[in-house]
Amino acid sequence: MKKAVSSKIKKVSNLKYDQQLAESPFEWWGPSPDEARRVMSAKSKGMHDKRASLKEAVARYVKDGINIGIGGFVNTRVPVAAVHEVIRHGARNLTLSFQSNSICAELLAGAMILDPDRVSIKRVELAWWGYEVIGIAPLLRYLTSKGMIQLDDYTNYGMSARFKAAAMGIPFVPTRDHGGSDMELVNRGRMTSCPFTGKNVYLVPACHPDVALIHVTAADMYGNCRIFGAHCTCPEITMAAAHSIVTTEKIIPNENIRTYPNLTEIPYAAVDALIEQPYGAYPGASYGFHWFDMDHIKMFRSVCDAFRKTGKKDDLKKYYDEYIFGCETYDDFLEKISFKTLRKLRDLDGGQPIILS
Amino acid sequence: MPEYTPFEMIAFTGSRVLEDEKIVFVGTGLPIIASMHAQLTHAPNLAMIFESGPLSPVLEMGMPLSVGDTRACRKACYLKGLSAVFELTQRGYSDYAFIGGAQIDMYGNVCSTFEGGTYNAPQTRFPGSGGAGAMAANCEKSIIIMALEKRRFTEKVEFLTSIGFGDGSADYREKAGVMGAGPYRVITNQALFGFDAKTRRMTLLEVLPGKTAQDIQELVSFELLVSKDLKEMAEPTAEDLRLLREVCDPEGYFLNRKVK
Repeated sequence: MKKAVSSKIKKVSNLKYDQQLAESPFEWWGPSPDEARRVMSAKSKGMHDKRASLKEAVARYVKDGINIGIGGFVNTRVPVAAVHEVIRHGARNLTLSFQSNSICAELLAGAMILDPDRVSIKRVELAWWGYEVIGIAPLLRYLTSKGMIQLDDYTNYGMSARFKAAAMGIPFVPTRDHGGSDMELVNRGRMTSCPFTGKNVYLVPACHPDVALIHVTAADMYGNCRIFGAHCTCPEITMAAAHSIVTTEKIIPNENIRTYPNLTEIPYAAVDALIEQPYGAYPGASYGFHWFDMDHIKMFRSVCDAFRKTGKKDDLKKYYDEYIFGCETYDDFLEKISFKTLRKLRDLDGGQPIILS
Repeated sequence: MPEYTPFEMIAFTGSRVLEDEKIVFVGTGLPIIASMHAQLTHAPNLAMIFESGPLSPVLEMGMPLSVGDTRACRKACYLKGLSAVFELTQRGYSDYAFIGGAQIDMYGNVCSTFEGGTYNAPQTRFPGSGGAGAMAANCEKSIIIMALEKRRFTEKVEFLTSIGFGDGSADYREKAGVMGAGPYRVITNQALFGFDAKTRRMTLLEVLPGKTAQDIQELVSFELLVSKDLKEMAEPTAEDLRLLREVCDPEGYFLNRKVK
């Protein structure tokens, strides 16, 4: 994509990058705004029971070649249960979109390393991929150093704004960041002149995932969702996506939703499949229910890091055989985590206040 | 003077740099600890923003281990999501961006994307911008924590992730379309840097007692400006260290790390 207007980044940039790729014509990495609109217009809008099993939901919506939008933020309210099911089901040639993620992205990357005929990631539009206090993401480092995945880098606001633009039904949104950084050279946004002020302003394209994977605090059976703690970018991602699979800690009566409609962050029409899955974000955290399990995340990360350093897949494979392929459902996985562990995590979150009534 | 670790010195200096009555947008680790220490000492009305969504939480459950930690939401005054808090920075509600990174140049441009190789096949890929690129663009002033090493204080960053003053030209940030004024302080355990108002170049403001400007220059790849009023860095008192060790980071997640 030729960029007519730009900041002065080229005067300072020292970046080595594939210029041809960066300047190739713009393409949507998922549904275009028009396609996303058509999908939504064609849907039945009646309020119906959306409850399904994860297996049914993933089989219905997850296909090869789609863009999967991943909710949560780093280790918080991440849709791990749904990601396990995607790995069991298999999906190749995926585009992933998220702002900041840890274990969901690494789980999909590990599945690709073990069996690319089952799961493969083609490219990722993101702001950040790592474990924060626990360390860098070993499989991100492995896949990028081998040139096995294409990345498209934005800031956390950039990715959030892209989902927000999609949720607003507009093709792009102006932001006050990215400009003057090397992201301006390599990502799919572009600098333009503001039609009103004439000043430079950076536009980022809308991001419509084909399927959003989201974990929420509570929802009624129709998919009206409440989120307590940080919203992250979950409402935007869900409403941006063509289809959504939502797991919830708890299903609450529709009457409760109607009593306090202001508390609904995602309306029923944006939800295609709803699964009551307590601990569905484990080993990530879920505000009001449980903290994150640092020990389990460290254990999985060390298995991934050992692979990165030695190239030996045995322990990585053992993790997947034990915790994913050896389980029919996410409850089977949780059964392998001790009650004492789950109880400790529940105590560590301190029972922060949430409203289910 | 009591003994302290390099990370304790960075956290203490970070705290000193933060003024009261401001809003600081914090990254994970030392920025949170520095802000907690400031609130407990000279800046009781300093508020924090965490990028997952909360503004002005009460961190009574202990230090959040990440900016997405559920504990960072505790008793916040305002709690939405990423869009809302970054929009606060665009509008001018956040005074400080408090970030880290892997490399910095003389104009305060920071890399946290990769090192070695190319963007498309990097030798060492880092997590990426995360919030840092947006914070450095739109919080009013950026405070950057960096390890004082030649390979990190570099002539040119390999990937310009978080915008500083670019090439140092007066209109670099305006042409970039960003709102904040730019780099304000760079904090290391042996030196505190600011930026020259005219040239926008990194300027040595304070050195660790016993160190000279020359000692610091030897750890930096580009030519430093030195303040005419070069000062010694203040050191943490026993009470500061007690707060850091017993209140801010009692488990030692960030303060007890080994220096590589």
